[in-house]
Amino acid sequence: MPKHNWRIIMTAILIILACVAFWNTFKLWTMSKGDKEALNDRDPGALLHLQQKAIRLGLDLQGGIHVVLRVKMEELDKASREDAVERAIQIIRNRVDGLGVAEPVIQKQGNDRIIVDLPGYTDAARAEELIGQTALLEFKLLETYDNASLVLTKIDSVIHDYELARKDTTAEGAPDTAVIAQETEPAIDSTAEGEDTDILAELMGDSAVDTADMFAFDEDIGLDENINPLTSRLQLAMSNNRTGTNWPSFAIPKKDRELITKWLNLPQVQSLIPIDVQFCWSTRSEIRNGREVYMLYLVKRKVQFLGKFLENIALGQGTYGGFVVNFSLSGDGAARFAQLTGANIDKPLAIVIDNKVESAPFINSKIRRRGQITMGSSAGVKDARNLEIVLKAGALPAPVEIIEKNVVGATLGIDSIKKGFFSFMVGLSLVLLLVGIYYRLSGVIADIGLLFNLFFLLAVMAALGATLTMPGIAGIILTIGISVDSNILIFERIREELRTGKTVRASIDAGYTRAFVAIFDSHVTTLVTAGALFLLGSGPIKGFAVTLFWGVTISLYTAYVITKQIFDIRKGYRTLSI
Amino acid sequence: MFRIIRETHINFIGVRKYAFVLSAALIIVGISAFVMVVIGKANLGIDFAGGVMVTGHFDQPVTIEDLRSAVTVEFPDAEITNLKDFEKPNAFIVKTKRPETEAEGKQRLETLEKIIEGSFGGNTFTVVSEHIIGPAVGQTLRSDAQKAVLLSLFGIIVYIWIRFDFRSGIAATIATLHDVLAVLGIFYLLDMEFDLLLVTALLTLAGYSLTDTVVVFDRIRENLKKFRTKGEFANAVNSSINEVLSRTINTSLTTLLVVGTLFFFGGEVLRYFALALIIGVLVGTYSSIFVASPIVVEWEARKPKRFK
Repeated sequence: MPKHNWRIIMTAILIILACVAFWNTFKLWTMSKGDKEALNDRDPGALLHLQQKAIRLGLDLQGGIHVVLRVKMEELDKASREDAVERAIQIIRNRVDGLGVAEPVIQKQGNDRIIVDLPGYTDAARAEELIGQTALLEFKLLETYDNASLVLTKIDSVIHDYELARKDTTAEGAPDTAVIAQETEPAIDSTAEGEDTDILAELMGDSAVDTADMFAFDEDIGLDENINPLTSRLQLAMSNNRTGTNWPSFAIPKKDRELITKWLNLPQVQSLIPIDVQFCWSTRSEIRNGREVYMLYLVKRKVQFLGKFLENIALGQGTYGGFVVNFSLSGDGAARFAQLTGANIDKPLAIVIDNKVESAPFINSKIRRRGQITMGSSAGVKDARNLEIVLKAGALPAPVEIIEKNVVGATLGIDSIKKGFFSFMVGLSLVLLLVGIYYRLSGVIADIGLLFNLFFLLAVMAALGATLTMPGIAGIILTIGISVDSNILIFERIREELRTGKTVRASIDAGYTRAFVAIFDSHVTTLVTAGALFLLGSGPIKGFAVTLFWGVTISLYTAYVITKQIFDIRKGYRTLSI
Repeated sequence: MFRIIRETHINFIGVRKYAFVLSAALIIVGISAFVMVVIGKANLGIDFAGGVMVTGHFDQPVTIEDLRSAVTVEFPDAEITNLKDFEKPNAFIVKTKRPETEAEGKQRLETLEKIIEGSFGGNTFTVVSEHIIGPAVGQTLRSDAQKAVLLSLFGIIVYIWIRFDFRSGIAATIATLHDVLAVLGIFYLLDMEFDLLLVTALLTLAGYSLTDTVVVFDRIRENLKKFRTKGEFANAVNSSINEVLSRTINTSLTTLLVVGTLFFFGGEVLRYFALALIIGVLVGTYSSIFVASPIVVEWEARKPKRFK
């Protein structure tokens, strides 16, 4: 029947799309624990990547920590209340990033609350420490480039040996370390502005950097063969084009970050790093030449200056366009800062928040009472705002208290998954059997529709990046019961039509047509409640609303269109098994 | 053809007086329960009342009585549940509710864990989950739940009034409220906990019960075209109910099957959620037959509109 061709084509397209959407989830769910460990061992970024692309499991299923914080506004004066929540969020995000949590959620709720979800992370004490602690803002100097090169070369050979030793256990192909093209990076310029404003530095994106030979990318070399496993992944990113000196700041593709963190934490590598320096990551990633990269700095451990001496931090417009962040120094700090900046002109000064580098502008001139950080010409208002918030957070920490905490252990999660899966299988089998027995062959057709419904539901959840929770599983199970309702309505109608003496074909068509109104109305009423639950519910309830909503929506297609299509495959009906 | 329900000619409308009495009783209980929830006298769960909950298991057997007497010295209101179907044996949930301040919640959790861990000598207690909800969060969750209930009831009523006439809209709304109140009332009488999951269950069954009512009303609308003589209205309604009866029962059965599965195998967290849905499906089926349609019939009998 040509007129039904569109339905077949559409269903085929939907099936293909669903397979694509579900593929990563399928891969992840069918992996054994050992497979996951092996993959994580080979390439720590890959498992995280896979988890991000699969259906997420809620805290109640995989274990994890859910915390609601309140910013203690009453402890802040009026002026510093304004963006206190943003400051706290920035600090928490900064600390959570790098914990290895696949999908952390950090968001503002209401006026003074922050929700932090760390799925899969169950070290409650550490998390509380990370989240609740006051931010520490420090200023540190960078190690010289020559010293950094010496250290990196030594580390390279140790990692090379380490990877060689692992060769037996893992035979893994080369991670593609594509070349990041030569990048223009922070340079410096000095301009006098205002009588007593000294300019700290300008981060301008318009000077070329000569990459030293050792930091040339080697492509397509296996971990075990590459004699420069570390340095071949680094791209020199900072050079002062006034003095011509390079500084140890390196761009690293996001996907290599986990691997490099692992290497740097090896005891044999740690012992090579001089006691007075440390590697620090940048607080967040940035886009360079279309690639997302993190920065790795080698900074001197000695704290040169503390953020608490900063005052009057404010975002502003620079004289020559672009954004600047202005600040002044309190009485106690001014002399020390003048001394520090005066002695280190043309060197970068790393702004370190909780051991991560927010930015490392060059010192332009001696700064006494007021200073200014000039953002690079490529920096947007968002970067400037981030810097402002970090400086403020260090100068004026926003005190928080935990008002809700839910820690779910992995055991409890596994128990819930088992129960959810078992209930799902039992519920599904019972309904498939009941419908199959009661409506015979037609029931089997309805069963096929139901199976499609469930498959599409999982695919939609994967495509939307939705979170599956225990109540969410309950929603799926409920969908099984509710979505066969459409077919029950249709089949009962067909039976009625058959009783009036119509032909089989006419009865089927009439059954489908006449039942439609009732099916449609009943779907809408369920969707309205699911929608309300989704808008206002939190966490687990949302999970329920999501699965119920999509399950019911999809059933309109699978129970009505797909089953009809199966009925239409056979042309001449004399009898109908119903 | 395999049929449980043959063609039926049951006079549902005829017994409406008895049904009204039963429904009135359910609604009264439900309204009292609702008032109790609003003034905070009902058994609120920790998500609404604020509170502390610890889940964990002991290495060696501990009776619920021993654990209770150990905990209630410090926390007289503590509620203890034995998690019988948990992965590990000797698992318990211990709750205490209504801390005064946020700090007190945290303090309570620490004390509670210390007491549980310390009361049984060498018998180690492993915590698998802990949950603290401060009073402020409880307040927020309560108001969120209220908003969700109002919003969805409003949405449903608007949809019904658009799709049907005014009288059917009122009747369907009453039937839906009736079901929600009935489950609320039954839960109150059984002294069950009112928490976020129960609210979710109530809203879900509001949608479900409305579906049942809508299917009957759709059929009534269709059949009214056939009955053109005055006085036949009640008959038209009655035969509509009978015609969709097998659908009503079959759908209730499949839904009861899956909800029953959740009740038996879904674990402690979902048990009461499932129970609310089981009661809701039963009440919802009852109300679509005995409440919604009879209201329309009564109305028509008093103020004839359709067959003047």
